[in-house]
Amino acid sequence: MAERIVIHPVTRVEGHAKISIYLDESGEVSSAQFHVTEFRGFEKLCEGRPFHEMPGLMSRICGICPVSHILASSKAGDMLLGVEIPRAAAKQRRLLNYAQVLQSHALSFFHLSAPDFLLGMDSPPEKRNLFGLLESDEEFARRGIRLRQFGQRIIELVGGRRIHPAWGTPGGVLRAVGTVERDEIRSWIPEALASMDIALGRMKPVLDALAPEIEHIGNFPTLFLGTVTPEGALEYYEGLIRIVDAERNIVAEGLDPHRYASYLGEASEEWSFMKFPFYKPLGYPGGSYRVGPLARLNVAQSAGTPRADRELREFKHRSQGAVCQSFFYHLARLIEMLHAIERIDELTDDPELLREHIRAKAGQNRNQGVGSCEAPRGVLFHDYQVDDNGLICKVNLLIATAQNNLAMNRAVEQTARHFVSARSLQEGMLNRVEAAIRCFDPCLSCSTHAVGQMPLVVELRDSAGELLDRAERG
Amino acid sequence: MGNSLRGDDGVAQRALQLIAPGGHVRLRQVCQLTPELAAEIAIAGADTVFFLDADPSSTEMTLEPVELRSTRGTPLAHSMSPAEVLELTRRLYGFAGEAFLCRIPAKYFGHGEGLSPQAEAGAHAAAKMIQERIAASFTIS
Repeated sequence: MAERIVIHPVTRVEGHAKISIYLDESGEVSSAQFHVTEFRGFEKLCEGRPFHEMPGLMSRICGICPVSHILASSKAGDMLLGVEIPRAAAKQRRLLNYAQVLQSHALSFFHLSAPDFLLGMDSPPEKRNLFGLLESDEEFARRGIRLRQFGQRIIELVGGRRIHPAWGTPGGVLRAVGTVERDEIRSWIPEALASMDIALGRMKPVLDALAPEIEHIGNFPTLFLGTVTPEGALEYYEGLIRIVDAERNIVAEGLDPHRYASYLGEASEEWSFMKFPFYKPLGYPGGSYRVGPLARLNVAQSAGTPRADRELREFKHRSQGAVCQSFFYHLARLIEMLHAIERIDELTDDPELLREHIRAKAGQNRNQGVGSCEAPRGVLFHDYQVDDNGLICKVNLLIATAQNNLAMNRAVEQTARHFVSARSLQEGMLNRVEAAIRCFDPCLSCSTHAVGQMPLVVELRDSAGELLDRAERG
Repeated sequence: MGNSLRGDDGVAQRALQLIAPGGHVRLRQVCQLTPELAAEIAIAGADTVFFLDADPSSTEMTLEPVELRSTRGTPLAHSMSPAEVLELTRRLYGFAGEAFLCRIPAKYFGHGEGLSPQAEAGAHAAAKMIQERIAASFTIS
């Protein structure tokens, strides 16, 4: 008789979710689904608010990546005003975006995922956390904490506070950076670079021991989508969208982020609150694509900073085409952290960062504004329609985590099929299924922002898998 | 710790506003406890740490010691307890001081700023008690 194994809650991710694994008559995995079980509603909450309030409101979507939402929201506001922001403001925005990438990746790598690959997938579950890591390698754990602290400290120094800073605004930013703040940021850089050398040196040998996981946890061809400079280098703030396939052939290039809706569609499924974006020319679900660290390194030809470029060249040698193994999201995250520190070094060495002209002033000149940036988990779009009084009529948020939804579900199913057998169910098997999700570092709070749109089905099953009751909404 | 946009959940932040910073006292407002606080406690060279939090299950304000003890952490890893932050600080930075958890009674956690009268009174009482503890510790030494 068919049965279902439920992993609930999924641990060491940002937000709340569950995974259902369906077994066939012989007890083998027939399919699996990743359900996002939390629900927000920001797209609806914002209707009727003045667009100048949006960066502050959007920041509240997430406590991990509020800066990304402030940036995308401020950029949508820039477009509504129709202004080019002052150069110092643009540099500040870039600086905080790198700080955001650094602190978010440090959380994902050191606090949430490193216990899996440094302590072992089958290590006791009560030890697979930061404290277990501490017992195994105290210095490694300490450096992870300090790296996240560095990213957060930059946000605090420049934005005023580390979470939900009241800092970004349509037309620029609200605070100038002083020499005291700049000098403190620069004082952290040598330690941060040394920590990255240690982390990369520790991670690479571990990868050899994880060959089965790398091969069977989310290893499949998809498209990869990310932002690049006009020259094809890594870009996180302002660039053009490039899409490559699994062979690293360029599928689309020079796409305007403002026109995202012309090439990206959003589908819904009845069993999850999270939307399922897809690349329109290939349809749903064939147009599945991945975003985030792995995708960015696959689409970019270079990093543009010396240390990260060395790592990127080595990374690209891991495959003839694109690197398709989702497990390499973790290594990609480390390379991006290194790149972010190098960019923070460059930006804080630029006197233009300290200029006090930080905000362009103008009235509303448009009725639609789209802002995008590369958030830690991938490209983020904020799309606002406003009336002539500047009040929000409609909001669409296309969140990075949601753009990985199709790939995450496929990764869960592939991992379950390979590692899970109900005949001898081991905890380590289920941890590998969770680990498939952790590769993507999903931020579920961010990605469940719609309201009144998503249908919900609740199924009640007995221990034999028989359906006892079913409730449907929407 | 707490969220000032959820009614009485901001009671600890209110208490912090009433405690004079500077001198030997460092204040830090957070929505939740995270590992980086271990480094902050160590860098500050703290010998005593007070954690303040809203407590819906209490009817009276309490100040209880947070014991330094071995902890394994929680698998969810969304946030940490005071004991876990202290354990990290002890293990990574050799913290050997004292720590206390101040539980302030709180009832209303709906959306919006502002405290109930009971929570407002609790914030004042908590601030007074902690300031007296701090003053007493410096008088003794």
